[in-house]
Amino acid sequence: MFSNQQIETLPKHQTIQFQPLADNAIWHVQLNWLLFYVPLMAVIIAVRHFNPAVSQAIATPWLLVLPLLVILSMIYNLYSVRAKGVAVREHDIAFKRGLIWQQTTLLPISRVQHTEIHRGPIERKLGLATLRLYSAGGMSADLHISGLTDEQCNDVRQFVQSYGDNALIPENELADE
Amino acid sequence: MSDQQWQRVSPWALLYFIVHFALRFIKDGLLNLLPILVLFVTQVEQKLFWGQIAAAVASLVLVLYAFAYYRNFKYCITDGHEILLNKGVFKKERLTLKFARVQNVNIAEPFYFQPVNLVNCIFDAAGSSAQEAVIPGVKLSYAEQVREQVMAFKAQLQQQEQLPVEHSEATDKPKTLTISNAEIAKFGLMSNMAILALAALAPFMNMIFEYLEKTIINRLEAMLIEQAAFVGSAAAIAVLIMVVAIVLCAILLSVVMALVRFFNFQLYFQDDKFKRVAGLFERQQLSISVSKIQSVQIKQNIIARLLNRYTLICPQVSSGGVTAGVAAHKNKQTLVMPVITKEQVQAVCGWLFPWFVDLTELNFIKPERALLYKNTFLYVILPTVFSALIFNTLFDAATILWSIVVGLVLMIGVFLNFQKTGVALYQHDGRFFAVFKTGMLGVQYRVFEIYKAQSVTTISTYLMRRSQLKSLYIQLASGSVSMPYLKAELAEQLADFALYEIEGVERNWF
Repeated sequence: MFSNQQIETLPKHQTIQFQPLADNAIWHVQLNWLLFYVPLMAVIIAVRHFNPAVSQAIATPWLLVLPLLVILSMIYNLYSVRAKGVAVREHDIAFKRGLIWQQTTLLPISRVQHTEIHRGPIERKLGLATLRLYSAGGMSADLHISGLTDEQCNDVRQFVQSYGDNALIPENELADE
Repeated sequence: MSDQQWQRVSPWALLYFIVHFALRFIKDGLLNLLPILVLFVTQVEQKLFWGQIAAAVASLVLVLYAFAYYRNFKYCITDGHEILLNKGVFKKERLTLKFARVQNVNIAEPFYFQPVNLVNCIFDAAGSSAQEAVIPGVKLSYAEQVREQVMAFKAQLQQQEQLPVEHSEATDKPKTLTISNAEIAKFGLMSNMAILALAALAPFMNMIFEYLEKTIINRLEAMLIEQAAFVGSAAAIAVLIMVVAIVLCAILLSVVMALVRFFNFQLYFQDDKFKRVAGLFERQQLSISVSKIQSVQIKQNIIARLLNRYTLICPQVSSGGVTAGVAAHKNKQTLVMPVITKEQVQAVCGWLFPWFVDLTELNFIKPERALLYKNTFLYVILPTVFSALIFNTLFDAATILWSIVVGLVLMIGVFLNFQKTGVALYQHDGRFFAVFKTGMLGVQYRVFEIYKAQSVTTISTYLMRRSQLKSLYIQLASGSVSMPYLKAELAEQLADFALYEIEGVERNWF
């Protein structure tokens, strides 16, 4: 039956209660960070030690800048992970992130083309996973949520897949090749 | 058509495969071979001899590979409403494309097929990683028959799923739009193909300039000195003449590229379907249903403004693996009306949106002034100070005045951009549309029905939060739109409304 009721109030996304990432998420971020910067610092120090030209160019006090940058980055990571949050509503998934640029993305479940769960070696050790939700907007429209537990990722994926079945919306599957 | 047997394509399809792989090699392979090319140019003696050998070997390999590909290529249209393709030489591929996944069936007639009345039948499966499947070298009647078969199946599927199907009144005569080749040539002036042509030559610029200096610039300089007794500035004028000549060549190339792509452009609209026929070497029929169109872009750059023309772009869903905006625009399945008048824009948009009004009359919501202040600081003050420091360091203090000129020019750009940014909402018959406007010297509108959006994002910086401001981004299946520096409350309301439309409207979004 046709109806055209006045919309008194729209569901407000500002009232969403975001769930923080898993407790281990901060370890994942920090370890990834260290895995990149520690070897980099080692290479810079080694090059400086063995190459006189570089040794003259980079005075010793400058070497203190590198670990200072790493410490500041790790403090930034700590607050950055705390600023992230996920929420699953009846019809969409919300993800907020960002410390300086705070960003809240809402992806309606009916627009999710397919989902993937990725687990790197550090994530597997920490019991974490990354949930990737793909929509039709291309790479910039996809939602990548890392720092969730494997169980949480599977639960969300299950919810997304069952939403598609219940809503009888034709899924956009990839062509079989 | 219930043929379950595997069929081969016509032997003439070998021509298609040769051209197809040659173009793929030029687009993808040549870039990878660039280091070898550089070595060849700089290190190898007897370039002509070895170049001819390399070209002959490459041609032979191309023909042999195309022949092997043709021999392995088979297709089958099954009773189970699937298109099966067996293809590949070293890596055998089996492609299964269900009728339900096919967005459009387009027909292209390359010039080399015209004498034998054959066409390429192109299945567009947007949203899939294998976006396009092609059966080359088939009869036109067969291609049209397959198209009817696929579209009939999809119409039947829609009825079975009881999805609201949009119908307009069937019209007796299709509405048409024809763009003359003279107009298409204007598009060559308007488009950025000239810049792309120059960019493509960028890696070779040094070599080109060295060659031009030896062969032409020195002679021009000598001629200028002889004829007009210029002494100090003859070299500069010679270089200037050369630069102008290169730019004119790039523009000419752009005009030629536009004509190749849009030659004899004809557009038909009937029963909620666009059919576009255009192309010089390959006459391509693009068929696109209104429901597949994600948004409409109406563009007018500075050259188009001088010519009083517009470009209309109607993208479909883009391939999932590529940045949406870029892919949709460059996608061959995007309907592009390259150069049309304002009246033609009104007419075509009126076919799509019955409510369509003159967009300049819409009441656009403007961004807050804070955007102007931010852009002035970032794009005027900082660059002006930076350029002043450079001028002072490299030249003398008097040249700092040039940085003021730089600042003024940037300020005009920032102000024009601020003036031309806005968003408007329009409601017609219970359906809600959004119009996003951007621009600086030119202007660009993007019109779409809100329920077709894919996701919504709001962004704010620390300073924006203090001023209670937010920027709104709406992702479409064919690009994104943004509205910076809105009042936070308004941005949140717009985001909530967009989500309400996306999640509440039952109509299929593509």
